[in-house]
Amino acid sequence: MIVVELRKLFRRPRTWVTIGLLNALPVLVAVLLAWTDLAPRPGEGPAFLSAVLTNGTLYPLAALAIVLPLFLPIAVSVVAGEAVAGEAQGGTLRYLLARPAGRTRLLVAKLIAVVAFVVVTVVVVAGVGYVVGRLLFEVQPTGGTALSGTSLTSQELAVRTLLAIGYVTVSMLGVAAFALFFSTLTDSPLGATLGALAVLIASSLLFTLDAASSFAPYLPTRYWLAFVDLFRDPILWRDVVRGVALQAVYVVVLLGAAWANFTTKDVTS
Amino acid sequence: MLPPLIDALPAADAPTSAVDLRTRALGSAGVAFAGYAQSAGGLDLPVGEQLTDAADLFSDRTTMRAWYRGPADWRVDVVTPTGETGVHADGCGTWTWDWEDAVATWSEPGPLAFPSPSDLLPSALGRRLLSEAAEDELSRLGAERVAGRDALGLRVEPAAEAASVPRVDVWVDRATGLPLRVQVWGDDAAEPAMDTSFLELDLTVPPAEVTAFTVPEGAEVREGQAEQLLQAADRDRRRGPALPSSLAGLDRRVVEGAPRSVGVYGRGVTLLAVGVLPDRAAAGLRAELSRAPGAVVDPLGTRIAAGPLGLMIVDGPDGALLLTGTVTLDALAAAATDLTGRAG
Amino acid sequence: MSTVIGTTGLVKRYGQLRAVDGIDLDVRPGDVYGFLGANGSGKTTTVRMLLGLVLPTEGEVRLLGEPMPKAARRVLPRVGALVEGPAHYGHLSGRANLALVDAAGPGGSRRTRRARIETVLEQVGLAGVGRKPARAYSLGMRQRLGLAAALLRRPELLVLDEPTNGLDPQGIHEIRDLLLQLNREGTTVFLSSHLLAEVEQMCTRIGVLDRGRLVLQDELARLTSPTGATIVETPEPDRVRAALDGRVLSVTAGRAVVRGADPAEVNAALVAAGVPVHGLALERPSLEAVVLAAARTSSDRVDAPGERSRR
Ligand SMILES: Nc1ncnc2c1ncn2[C@@H]1O[C@H](COP(=O)(O)OP(=O)(O)O)[C@@H](O)[C@H]1O
Ligand SMILES: [Mg+2]
Repeated sequence: MIVVELRKLFRRPRTWVTIGLLNALPVLVAVLLAWTDLAPRPGEGPAFLSAVLTNGTLYPLAALAIVLPLFLPIAVSVVAGEAVAGEAQGGTLRYLLARPAGRTRLLVAKLIAVVAFVVVTVVVVAGVGYVVGRLLFEVQPTGGTALSGTSLTSQELAVRTLLAIGYVTVSMLGVAAFALFFSTLTDSPLGATLGALAVLIASSLLFTLDAASSFAPYLPTRYWLAFVDLFRDPILWRDVVRGVALQAVYVVVLLGAAWANFTTKDVTS
Repeated sequence: MLPPLIDALPAADAPTSAVDLRTRALGSAGVAFAGYAQSAGGLDLPVGEQLTDAADLFSDRTTMRAWYRGPADWRVDVVTPTGETGVHADGCGTWTWDWEDAVATWSEPGPLAFPSPSDLLPSALGRRLLSEAAEDELSRLGAERVAGRDALGLRVEPAAEAASVPRVDVWVDRATGLPLRVQVWGDDAAEPAMDTSFLELDLTVPPAEVTAFTVPEGAEVREGQAEQLLQAADRDRRRGPALPSSLAGLDRRVVEGAPRSVGVYGRGVTLLAVGVLPDRAAAGLRAELSRAPGAVVDPLGTRIAAGPLGLMIVDGPDGALLLTGTVTLDALAAAATDLTGRAG
Repeated sequence: MSTVIGTTGLVKRYGQLRAVDGIDLDVRPGDVYGFLGANGSGKTTTVRMLLGLVLPTEGEVRLLGEPMPKAARRVLPRVGALVEGPAHYGHLSGRANLALVDAAGPGGSRRTRRARIETVLEQVGLAGVGRKPARAYSLGMRQRLGLAAALLRRPELLVLDEPTNGLDPQGIHEIRDLLLQLNREGTTVFLSSHLLAEVEQMCTRIGVLDRGRLVLQDELARLTSPTGATIVETPEPDRVRAALDGRVLSVTAGRAVVRGADPAEVNAALVAAGVPVHGLALERPSLEAVVLAAARTSSDRVDAPGERSRR
């Protein structure tokens, strides 16, 4: 079942087109940056972008920071929103369930496929970022500089980059859970995707609003940027830990809701 | 998920007197710690580009990480979502590392320095504000939980008439005397004008390599900005007026090594600084100030109040003067009258 | 096992609407069961309940002797289904589609998968379809592919909802032959349709659904069994009345209907009276007449105003 879902997802051309498009922006930014040599002003623009001019090995992180606010969640929402509603719209859901695939199993398989998509996407973005960074920018052979000004060896940098990839992946799980939940509510994949995006946009907006400060710590996008904290020295775990815990709560609650809904609903598509 | 629970425990008070508590707080400079603090200020200073860093300190929510091994060996990082600015102090001076610009700035302790994030750390700010308070300005508050610890409250109510800060509350760690939270109140009694507090505190001595600083490869190295400004002020000395020994009822302080054209008046929470402003800077700043809401423009000059902080540009006979400090608008006007001999 | 599909008091309510209203299906092994009903009478809803896609509001479903949807995981691998038209992953070939569906659930051995796929494609007439993606298939090819998916695990029971939709007459004929052949080999077929002729041609048992109610369920042979009258074809029907006074039920041009279930006896009587007889046959009711009659008897039910007009 899981293999089937993975095969379905990764054999579909659209999946790779999405991942390709996702990489287009960081590559474009890298080319412009290398060409004009104009870094964004401090405090503006995505994290790490101003630093890549002097050290290309940071470009995977800049690439992640570029896609994190919008492109990545959109891609995840599209794929996760599609998960159940897409099968419903295409009519294949009834044949899967009559096969029988088992509703819980199907949901779990869909979840795993979505997580696999997130992991592959994040890793590909980081990987393309690495290649682009090496090709277009100067590279410090010794590793890099942490935000705090201490030097990191190549190995430390690699470990932290992996941690960051993991954290970004976890950050996307909340989005995926929202989209998957909506996907079990509706037969329209577009509706599920837009629903998840609406949640994210609302969350980002409320985050900037002082009036919403009482529940700002619980907004799903609250700790997304905390992956930057992994590159401080010593690592600032506070927001990273909170971010992981928060995503875990969202994932558990929303998947519970998705499961409760999907296992008891009439499949009339 | 434990910290919120610990914070929710009722705080245990102790029968320490206000004066004793102040003594304990002032004696806490040797307490080593590592902490995570946040300060929130409601001051919107309408100031130009040159001062944005300092202005941001007061107007924004600032997140800080601090490692403190002793008065001459500490580090404070201001953490922003996309970068970090760290101040590392050793015995001789401070390195300020700005990651996004990849610039390391060396500053030696000067008589006058711009406010830096380390000044906003509750421990430093608390000690500074308590240091000059008179005993009859002090009173005790109850106890509170701060950063999961019992903190005893201490209130300072400045006696000076010029004071724009009616009171300052300092919450002092019951066990060590370390100020854990400082609230500076303005006219608005609902919310402090500035509130800085530790959210996490660890009293083990941080390792030396955390506070140490080596200039990273590829970084640009600069010399402190405060030095340059002082040199500029020195060059302008000939234009400066002879500053009086008291302004608006506040006595002039003796600041070792400061140029004659810069004067600092007052005590404790109530301070007023006067300095010569280069003509170019004066024009821009005056225009900016007069556009700000609530600005008072009259023959004495242009003045505004941002929370408890007052700012004024005075056109003296020898050029523009900048007056700024935690004083009321009336006190600024009085000071301007003292300086120029004009009446408001 | 005496029943392949058995439901008791099966009800599905959508809000105010009772889409399926207390039906007791009884499909026996070896049947080709025709589930007949107008559009909107609740056939698809019933089929979905049989397969566990829609949960009944009331009542029970037993499939191959086991309760549904509880035993779905045991039962459904032995059932092939086609519900409201086929559905495929458009970007994949027919073979890839079949492989995915087969791998998606229990009871389809991986080793035999390739062989089984080739066999069913052969059976439904798609053996030469090649690698083109399913989205490029014609409607008829998709229907065949759907049927192939249903046949993939040699099911004991085929549940087919309007399986000939979209097929041309040639295709309908092929599918009918295929189903009848499978039935001869032991597969029970449950087939829903709104086409009377289709059901009459294929089915051995019939259930008639009218606005959610099962108004008729019996063997086709019994429903159309002789009425006890004989049809006489003659150029002079009026003379039949004279010859067999009192036994004539109706007279039309060239035809007379006579009471009596023995054509030989009728023939002898008519010949004796010198009436020319061109042909003799036992009278049987048409299925259409039976169905219409059954639906009429249920028309005494009272619907809430406007409720049924939503269809
Ligand atoms: N999901 C649904 N929600 C509400 N009403 C439905 C739903 N599905 C079917 N119906 C109604 O139930 C009745 C039976 O529909 P259906 O089972 O599709 O009939 P058939 O397959 O015999 O044409 C129709 O009136 C239809 O409008
Ligand atoms: Mg139907």
